[in-house]
Amino acid sequence: MAPFRALRICLLLLGTLLFSIGPVQALTVPALKGRVNDYAQILSPATISQLDNALKYFEQQESTQLVVLTVPTLEGDSLEDFSIRVAESWKIGQKKIDSGAILLVAKQEKKLRIEVGYGLEGKLTDLVSGRIIHDIIVPSFKEGNFDQGIINGVTAMMEAVKGEFSAKSVPPKKNSKQNDPAGMIVPLVIFFVFLGNFLHQNRPAAAAIGAVGCPLFGLFFLGFSWITLLILVIVGLFGGLIASTMLSGGGHGGGFFLGPGFGGFGGSSSGDDSGGFSGGGGDFGGGGASGDW
Amino acid sequence: MQRPIKLFTLFLIALTLSGCGYNALQMKEEAVSKAWADIESNLQRRADLIPNLVETVKGYAGHEKETLTQVTEARSKASSIQLSPADLGNPAAMKQLQEAQGGLTSALSRLMVVVEKYPDLKANQSFRDLQSQLEGTENRINVARQRYNQAVEDFNASIRVFPASLTNSLLLHLQKKEYFKAEAGAQAVPKVNFK
Repeated sequence: MAPFRALRICLLLLGTLLFSIGPVQALTVPALKGRVNDYAQILSPATISQLDNALKYFEQQESTQLVVLTVPTLEGDSLEDFSIRVAESWKIGQKKIDSGAILLVAKQEKKLRIEVGYGLEGKLTDLVSGRIIHDIIVPSFKEGNFDQGIINGVTAMMEAVKGEFSAKSVPPKKNSKQNDPAGMIVPLVIFFVFLGNFLHQNRPAAAAIGAVGCPLFGLFFLGFSWITLLILVIVGLFGGLIASTMLSGGGHGGGFFLGPGFGGFGGSSSGDDSGGFSGGGGDFGGGGASGDW
Repeated sequence: MQRPIKLFTLFLIALTLSGCGYNALQMKEEAVSKAWADIESNLQRRADLIPNLVETVKGYAGHEKETLTQVTEARSKASSIQLSPADLGNPAAMKQLQEAQGGLTSALSRLMVVVEKYPDLKANQSFRDLQSQLEGTENRINVARQRYNQAVEDFNASIRVFPASLTNSLLLHLQKKEYFKAEAGAQAVPKVNFK
């Protein structure tokens, strides 16, 4: 019964961990619904579809993602803080070239901001963003014409960044950071073959060493995370057990059965893709300009 | 049976060393240095904008000499103090830099208040462009500061947590890093003096 009890404790721990995640923040970043996110409901459906088409075409041509977000209120939050949080969580623009920008409008506060990704800072400078806001968008907004203001503003943004990137500058998709689960498979297989070969008579010992060694691999290759460690303890436990059983005959492919099981690790990090559109992983550093009307 | 076990132990020790944060600590320290470089380039960018700004304001508000001189002086003081990555663990050096940069921030915000009295200047295109650039730079400094502080928090915590703390005290001897706090002058709202 002891293994079951241990398993139950593990599951309990896992549950507690899952619930304790999630930082508390002033104003939550709304979900990325598409290229035009009109949460303040200030745009007509015709404008939204017109913008959406134009921005879609623009992304195909220029590898640049421009996104519009309108919110009813900032709830006391600072425009710039909220804006950078949106940028960090949506990750608009392509990875590595950081080709994204966000036009953010807060209706109640009568404030707006253009947040520019690193890759577009050369063309859509603070100065240019400021001019687009003050000279192009704000006059229309002052008349209450949000549709025209946003259309003109987005058009001006597209004009500004045109030619910065071409359709070809699409970098190959890569796994995030140096956390490369694939790099872990070979050493891990060697580890288990090792384990199975030398401890084939002692299955509990093999299982114990597996349960300790496997998380150590995890620390080295995947970085620290309780959940990963927990999974790796279990994987190591069974891996050690199976390896010591399978390899007791003196060496037929111990790594063979572990390969496919580990393939699942790589794909587990892909986020949900709402409505066929998502940010490409672009980074932002606070560039752009703010204004009010 | 003896030799394989010895080999295996060696293998485990090698793994444990990397598991004890030897590599992670170095990478985290590098992340702090990188975040600091980002702050410095933005501070430099701000300093570079100021001569132009002062010239433009002079054209419209020439008799605001005192405010303009204060900005210029604060700028040269702020530019004279720089921190190398090795100084990031030095509280006194960090305090000095923060004071100098804070002085520049408050001199600039006083200038922006004075400017309110000159509608012609405020309507001037090059002044408005400079203002956009300056605001953008201040915002970049803010973002860079937050990211730097996060990197410092991450690093400082990791040299105190168990396996890595041992690795650090025995092998690496890395210093705790200083935070770059929001400037005292930046929080105080400048007083408007209508005469």
